[in-house]
Amino acid sequence: MLSTLELSPQTLDAEAPVRIAVKNLDFYYGEHKALKNINLDFRDRHVTALIGPSGCGKSTLLRVFNRIYSLYPEQRATGEVILDGRNVISNDVDVNELRSRIGMVFQKPTPFPMSIYDNVAFGIRLNEKPPKSELDDRVEGALRRSALWDEVKDKLRMSGMGLSGGQQQRLCIARTIAQKPEVILFDEPTSALDPISTGKIEDLLEQLKTDFTIVIVTHNMQQAARISQYTAFMYLGEVIEFAPTNTIFMNPHKKQTQDYVTGRFG
Amino acid sequence: MSMTTPSVGSQTPRAEWGRVRASRRTADKAMKLIATGFTFLAIFVLFWILGMLIVKGVGGLSLATFTQVTPGPGSEGGGLANAIVGSIVLTFLGIVVATPIGVLAGTYLAEYGKGSQLANLIRFINDILLSAPSILIGLFVYVILVEPFRGYSGWAGGVALGIIAIPVIVRTTEDMLRLVPGPLREAGAALGAPPSVVITSVTWRAAKSGMVTGILLALARIAGETAPLIFTALNNNFWFSPTLSGGVSNLPVTIYQFASAPYENWQQLAWAGSLIITVSILLLSLIARRIVRGSK
Repeated sequence: MLSTLELSPQTLDAEAPVRIAVKNLDFYYGEHKALKNINLDFRDRHVTALIGPSGCGKSTLLRVFNRIYSLYPEQRATGEVILDGRNVISNDVDVNELRSRIGMVFQKPTPFPMSIYDNVAFGIRLNEKPPKSELDDRVEGALRRSALWDEVKDKLRMSGMGLSGGQQQRLCIARTIAQKPEVILFDEPTSALDPISTGKIEDLLEQLKTDFTIVIVTHNMQQAARISQYTAFMYLGEVIEFAPTNTIFMNPHKKQTQDYVTGRFG
Repeated sequence: MSMTTPSVGSQTPRAEWGRVRASRRTADKAMKLIATGFTFLAIFVLFWILGMLIVKGVGGLSLATFTQVTPGPGSEGGGLANAIVGSIVLTFLGIVVATPIGVLAGTYLAEYGKGSQLANLIRFINDILLSAPSILIGLFVYVILVEPFRGYSGWAGGVALGIIAIPVIVRTTEDMLRLVPGPLREAGAALGAPPSVVITSVTWRAAKSGMVTGILLALARIAGETAPLIFTALNNNFWFSPTLSGGVSNLPVTIYQFASAPYENWQQLAWAGSLIITVSILLLSLIARRIVRGSK
């Protein structure tokens, strides 16, 4: 159907365990209901893309998983988001522990106003006090893993704010993976970047899925097609269709999905 | 140009030229002239003050100004050493009192309170305090710290100056923290950092230069305050006690007393003291501006 889309031959393990299970999830901004009865399973060590037009609720859904929405008192979620057997949106799950298990990378790079080294060590230092040599190793490992080490190894003491946009975003990824999370949430991670930096981030996502479960919100359908194994198409706060990415782009079952992925609306 | 432009002459005009009345153009020019004129007037007054300060102040400056204590009535010479040191001590004391209170209150308003009723009330009261007459604050401290302890003291003076500095620091701290982008806080929280860690190691760091500037501006503000000291630290024509009990000599009250006295050397010293305060405040402001620019 879409000859212009390059669909990478994604290996998809249908037997992979479910890492996050979303059941009957509703979400409210004050009185406004932004998510309606969401049911989705996110497979372990797979990339799942959330696509849909602006305002469809894909970022809102992403922000439920690590409860970042709870920073804002008027926002609330009901239902279940099961991670490792516990409903993470219930109050008896410690939110800070949850966030050390589920990392998040934002649309605009968010380096902290501190050195490159301290940026990466930030998350580690929150919960652990490793000896200096071990901390050094973990910082280096995270920077290598995010393909930034060679560019910054001689200036680890320089401010993270001094890097280019693409480097800053990879720094944020390094900061997230240094904490060894199980899941990483990406909220349009390349929409503020140039094509070359975008390519580097996409290559990185490909690498990271061997260790992490990845959920990515993207406006860019080519990106979703290139990097994800599963895709959920959302519209007006509902999941219209959820299937392996190849199915969504080549052989969608719903007409709305087909219209969206062929660019007829959205 | 290869493009064919429509012929101008043959076109029927949509509206006649000359719709804008000449009087409107004149009014426009007059407005510009008046605004420029009054700007020059304001600047002229400012330079007049500075010029007079320099002409009269420089004459009174000498090494003795910085090494000798304030002269007694009718005695020759003398300097401002005790008043300068006293002023530095009192101003420093005021900032030490005001900085933690101001920074933490500003942090509450920007980070914890945000849209709450309590925060709005505190912000309103802070704005009133910001414009409260400083003599009132002097009287207040007189009632709570001078009367009960039966004596003027540098501590009372420091507290009075601190109370004047607090609302300035609260305001600038809140404003600077509000400039920190929300996603930066979210990024801190998303790593599992509790709010206290996000505030102290991310938000404060991002707003650091602005917050330091606010503290420097508060310092400049209280360095020249006279009224709050009259009822608290009073003044002292000799070296003050190291325990800061009793009157503590300071520049603003010394200027106030010396300028209205009949002795010529006192008047000279009042001018010199005014110049010293003005130059100090100017330097503080320049440093503050430098910090702001350096952070951009």
